[in-house]
Amino acid sequence: MATSSSPPQSDTEVVAERRGIPAASFVKDVQAYLNQLGLDVNSTLAFQQERLQQYKMVEMKLLAQQRDLQAKIPDIEKCLDVVATLQAKKDTDEALLTDFEVSEGIYSRARIENADSVCLWLGANVMLEYSCEEATSLLQNNLENAKASLEVLVADLQFLRDQVTITQVTIARVYNWDVHQRRVRQASSSQDS
Amino acid sequence: MQQAGGGSETEVTWEDQQNINKFGRLNNRYHELEDEIRIAKEANENFEDASNELILTDEEVVRFQIGEVFAHVPKDEVEMRIEKMTETTSKHLEKLKDEKDAVVAQMADLKKVLYAKFKDSINLEED
Repeated sequence: MATSSSPPQSDTEVVAERRGIPAASFVKDVQAYLNQLGLDVNSTLAFQQERLQQYKMVEMKLLAQQRDLQAKIPDIEKCLDVVATLQAKKDTDEALLTDFEVSEGIYSRARIENADSVCLWLGANVMLEYSCEEATSLLQNNLENAKASLEVLVADLQFLRDQVTITQVTIARVYNWDVHQRRVRQASSSQDS
Repeated sequence: MQQAGGGSETEVTWEDQQNINKFGRLNNRYHELEDEIRIAKEANENFEDASNELILTDEEVVRFQIGEVFAHVPKDEVEMRIEKMTETTSKHLEKLKDEKDAVVAQMADLKKVLYAKFKDSINLEED
């Protein structure tokens, strides 16, 4: 299933697909649906099951992304906290004494005086020096982006779960319809004989 | 969580499907809220333990964790910080609890509607 992004869909009642996730088509009438597909019951069920598996795979991927973002957001908030503390200490002209981890279980003491700038880890082995204000605005920006991404992701997951539910209900209905048809056929054939 | 079984010929309309979808979403949200409420309660307990420790300690300067380091912060400031954090978390907890109540109420309504239409063909209980 392709996962390239497409333009965001408006909130109409029936959405054909959302960001690469195809919508499950709702079945009004099982007989009509089977005729439209031109498949017998078992093939239809197999097709729906396959769709369900694909949805589940995409769901796992999205859940992993969601977990990453949910871990990232508190990290950024902690960084903002540190920068804010450094700025506050700078304003009162005090030195900040901190104990930091040198290695696992080993801590050392640092005296931070007049923190004019901080270095931010940008990833990919790159660290840049920023003034406290610039650092705060960069971190704030990252935080807002992360929160916005998380919102979109949650909406994607909700859409996906809806499609999973529709597919599950369709599978059950096709199966029930088949059982019902068999009963009817058996009843009519036992009447004839 | 919910399946339709039986072999009956109950028709499922788009409205029914949307109700089932909505129930599914609410159920997921309910579980997420339960987890978030548990985490918030734990955080509050930790804050309380911390402030109790503060009262017992006789040091003037406390090592308070900010980010990944432990800053040397005077005891009064630590007290203030913990109070602020407790207040934020408590408010968040209240909001979560309210949302959970709303979700539970909506789920109960949907259950009534869906059971009325589908009776035995649908199962909306926790497994």
